[in-house]
Amino acid sequence: MNYLRHVLILVQKDIVAELRTKEMLNSMLLFVLLTMVMFNFAFGSGPETETLSSGLLWISFLFAAILGLNRVFVHEKDEGCLDGLMLCSMDCSVIYFGKAISSFLFLSVAELIALPVFTVFFVRESFLSHLWILIIVLMLGNVGISAVGTLLSAISINTKARDLMLPVLFLPVIVPILVAAVKSTGLVLSFSSVGTQQFWTEIVIWLRTLVIYDIIFVLVGFLTFEYVVEE
Amino acid sequence: MRLKNGTIKRCLGITSFLGIFISLYMAFFYTPLDKNLGVVQKIFYIHFPAAIVPYFAFFVVLVCSIIYLKTRDRKWSKIAYASAEIGLVIDTALLVTGTIFDKPTWGVWWVWEPRLTTSLIMWLLYAGYLMLYYSVGEAERRSRLTAVYGIVAFISVPISFMSIRWWRTVHPIVFEPTKIALDTSMWVTTLVFLFSMTLFYAYLLGHRVDMIGLQEEIEDLKDEVED
Repeated sequence: MNYLRHVLILVQKDIVAELRTKEMLNSMLLFVLLTMVMFNFAFGSGPETETLSSGLLWISFLFAAILGLNRVFVHEKDEGCLDGLMLCSMDCSVIYFGKAISSFLFLSVAELIALPVFTVFFVRESFLSHLWILIIVLMLGNVGISAVGTLLSAISINTKARDLMLPVLFLPVIVPILVAAVKSTGLVLSFSSVGTQQFWTEIVIWLRTLVIYDIIFVLVGFLTFEYVVEE
Repeated sequence: MRLKNGTIKRCLGITSFLGIFISLYMAFFYTPLDKNLGVVQKIFYIHFPAAIVPYFAFFVVLVCSIIYLKTRDRKWSKIAYASAEIGLVIDTALLVTGTIFDKPTWGVWWVWEPRLTTSLIMWLLYAGYLMLYYSVGEAERRSRLTAVYGIVAFISVPISFMSIRWWRTVHPIVFEPTKIALDTSMWVTTLVFLFSMTLFYAYLLGHRVDMIGLQEEIEDLKDEVED
């Protein structure tokens, strides 16, 4: 129980710190919007763009996530907060879960604001009846992104290249999440043209991939994080 | 001990070179010409082992990384790094032969199908691993961080493969029991090639580990001089 309380205190600390500056949330949100606008100029708008829109959504979320993940340990490292946390008499994985949960929350907030804008820009048919599936997909995707992203962010902050390192390490690892998330988002956006039977069989495959991936990477992060931060 | 180590390496070197020559000879003179693909099919004999050996090499990275984190013996992190590097080189050979093989068989240089795509992602993962290795100065921290990434990278390979496989598939599945598309002599040649390439990998690994040892020794000496 104490473990959970410690995690929540760390999350609360991150939220308070973020609400004071709002630099991470603001830059993530603006970045997502900018990517969408740039996408519109790069590919034009028309019926053919609609098939690309689920990919666009996830690419912009992914890049925004990198932007946010790069910042996860910057303050901790520079201000010596990480050393302080390490000295506390608690398990190292508390820091991992605290950080992973707070980046999950920031990413989700940015996505929830960006999603309506995306819908206005790129979606013609209403998918309101299947919105809850899309929310699940987003949440599962975010769990994977923040679980593996927090670990890799802790690795990259320890290198000479720092934030240049994160995308190089993060993007190839996140491929399965991207594939599964894009496929299921595409299914939700075009559910009317896919038969109900086919929709459910396919969405189950992709949601299952997301769940498996999430479980594995939360476990790996939990088990290896202490080796990354120890000095 | 040193002499014995050297003898093993020399034996490995000689047998792997001989093995590769024999398998090349077998590929060109022993196996029959493929009916549909003609002489192009010969590339398969190097393509197939080049597909298997990187998986093995990266598996070695995983195992050595885990052992390193448990024992903190730098010997293991050296083996892990050397194996990643050689695996990456062979993976490059795989991608190159793969694209050459694709053009006459499928008519295009690149097809986004599971095996090829997974090999490419694997290449990117371990290129990242090498970059990580070179961007950490201190040997102990470098070993620790690369070990963690070595574990994460290997774990994501099979899931990538499965997700891409569900995504789309055109590549022939060579291992499916009902669809063995190859003649016995072709299989024998492939296996001989696989065996010699594995020996070659082991030969390079031994030398690379020694080199890394020397490099780290130089680094330590430099630090000593600076202090």
